[in-house]
Amino acid sequence: MAGERNDNRDAAGVEAGLRESLKRELEGEIRQTLEAELRGELSQELRERLVARLKAELSEEIQVRIARIKAELEAEILSRGVPVPTLPPPPREFERFSMNVRVQHIVLMVSCLILIITGLPLKFHEARISQIFFDLVGGVQMSTLIHRIGAVGLIAVGAYHLFYLVAFREGRRNFLRLLPTPKDVRDFFQMLRYFLGRIEEKPRFGRFSYVEKFDYWAVYWGMVIMIGSGLILWFLETSLRFLPKFAADIAREAHSDEGLLATLAIIIWHFYNVHLNPEHFPMNWTFWTGTISEEEMHRHHPLEYEEAMAARTIRPPLPGGLPETGALAADPAVRPPTREGMQPAAGEKSP
Amino acid sequence: MWGSKGLGAGLAGAILILLMAGGAEALTKCLICHGKPTLFKTLPSGRVLSLFVDEKQLKESVHAARACTDCHSDITAIPHKGEIKRVSCIRCHFKGNPVGAPQKDIYVEYAKSVHGVAAAAGNTKAPVCQDCHGNHNIRHPKDPASQMNKAHIPETCGRCHLAVYGDYRESVHWKAFASAKRDSAVCTDCHGEHTIRAHESPESSTYITRVPETCSRCHASVAVVGKYGIKTEQVATYGRSFHGIAIKYGGKTVANCASCHGVHDIRPSDDPSSAVHIENIPRTCGKCHTGANVNYAKGKIHVDPTKREAGLVYWVSLFFKWLTISVMVGLTGHIGLDLFRRFRRQGSAH
Repeated sequence: MAGERNDNRDAAGVEAGLRESLKRELEGEIRQTLEAELRGELSQELRERLVARLKAELSEEIQVRIARIKAELEAEILSRGVPVPTLPPPPREFERFSMNVRVQHIVLMVSCLILIITGLPLKFHEARISQIFFDLVGGVQMSTLIHRIGAVGLIAVGAYHLFYLVAFREGRRNFLRLLPTPKDVRDFFQMLRYFLGRIEEKPRFGRFSYVEKFDYWAVYWGMVIMIGSGLILWFLETSLRFLPKFAADIAREAHSDEGLLATLAIIIWHFYNVHLNPEHFPMNWTFWTGTISEEEMHRHHPLEYEEAMAARTIRPPLPGGLPETGALAADPAVRPPTREGMQPAAGEKSP
Repeated sequence: MWGSKGLGAGLAGAILILLMAGGAEALTKCLICHGKPTLFKTLPSGRVLSLFVDEKQLKESVHAARACTDCHSDITAIPHKGEIKRVSCIRCHFKGNPVGAPQKDIYVEYAKSVHGVAAAAGNTKAPVCQDCHGNHNIRHPKDPASQMNKAHIPETCGRCHLAVYGDYRESVHWKAFASAKRDSAVCTDCHGEHTIRAHESPESSTYITRVPETCSRCHASVAVVGKYGIKTEQVATYGRSFHGIAIKYGGKTVANCASCHGVHDIRPSDDPSSAVHIENIPRTCGKCHTGANVNYAKGKIHVDPTKREAGLVYWVSLFFKWLTISVMVGLTGHIGLDLFRRFRRQGSAH
């Protein structure tokens, strides 16, 4: 194991050295050529464009050469009889949900579960199981108390989320990516054609697919109805100071009906898409770990993946020229392979 | 065999005749004094107790064939010696008695009733059998002249429960009963008969959580109230309300039927003095909901969201019904197509 690591470190050192020398050498050549052959005949702009293009080609060239050198080194190590690592490289992980989002989601989840468990027996009060439930928790008064604890959680996470959308760069960025676009409509129809076997290409999603956007915006609708009607019913005497009795009846009806709709949507739709579909059955742990594998990222969010990859390799707008090797490793969108396995992902930052 | 049976029957007949003759003879003897309407005695409390026995009444009662001393067993001599005790009906009315006095298990419940417990504790005002069923005038409850006949029950109970009787006479139940709607409730329909309990007792049919059940015995039955054009849906809508659900699962601070409609003096909602008259709703709701105002009267009280007459509530209910159906059809359809595609692809890969 120790020998293996040393070899790797050597290989990395050689790689970095090569990179540096190649870069210096080629840049020098470009400059010389330009100076000698163009002598200011071309405009500054054209010159810059040329430099950029050359740099891009250079960068590809560097990669190709590094890969070749790497292969040669590996062959050499192999020929020396040193055992090569037999474990496949650990999967690269992409951060999907920041700690902030994960905590929000868990509070929302727990609140919803509490509200559903204590709410449904009121709606289906004639069912035998409701009787069992009320006996278990110690009567309807205890049940309503627990329901209100859940309500506090739901209201708190709703309010915090609005704050998050305004106050955090990550929140603003996520929000912009969650806004519905015409592409979502196109994606939806493409998905239908794909489902029916008319085409073989799935729509290519960005960070959020239309399914995820639907889930997100459905929660807004649910929160407005449930919290609004719930508060009227919670503070009934205060509400009835201003509202007629039939408004409270409407609140009760809406609370009861939307509660059922939300429950069905969560248990059937959300659970299927996230956990119960054949790909993730029985459980998708991303809500807890916050990460998804490179393979999944590539499959489900190809546009986001490509964006991240593009940011990783070439960054033409940066004034500092080619990205440093160190900068590559520190790129927050890409986590380099680690031998230690999964690690909590660092907070996402905009590039 | 035949001979001994005939002999036995003959003997029994002879004893019966003797008994009846003895009874008749004793009655005649007793009525020498007790047949005079002016016979009375003054009790230590100062109350004047009439000792008159109306022979006609006695002859029409179910006990016509009984001798005075069958019930007044402590009277053995004239003039009477010692303290004359109250008649105890269980001398004959016990299970398997030889004289054929009717006895049902339910009579035994009296001992656990509010009346029986009070009487056993020495409350001389607490009623025993004859206080309700009558003494010399005792008749079968089905007999219209019985004081236990449904028509006379309010009066009989009212002899002690005078104020309640006054309230009850004002109620829609009595008015309906008096106008020949004989299904209408009298005291015992709500409170029970031999099983009667104080309303604070959880076993009482008028206990706070059992009131809806008691009222619904008639008000949920089309066969009973339906005849008079009274809707039975009020029971169902109450059951679906927060009040109804809470009370079903042990809530003791929520409204039952009587909280709003009143107890003995229940009046129809179009009566201006009714607790549920539209003008009185703020006051009635205000008994529990502090600061109740006219808003409480805006909208149907026993609201059924599935009925068009519920107004806006009906439309909201309808909207959510179709929203839920269409959303869930769409979502499950999407899931179905997704699964269809996944398994088809898997199938074609082979």
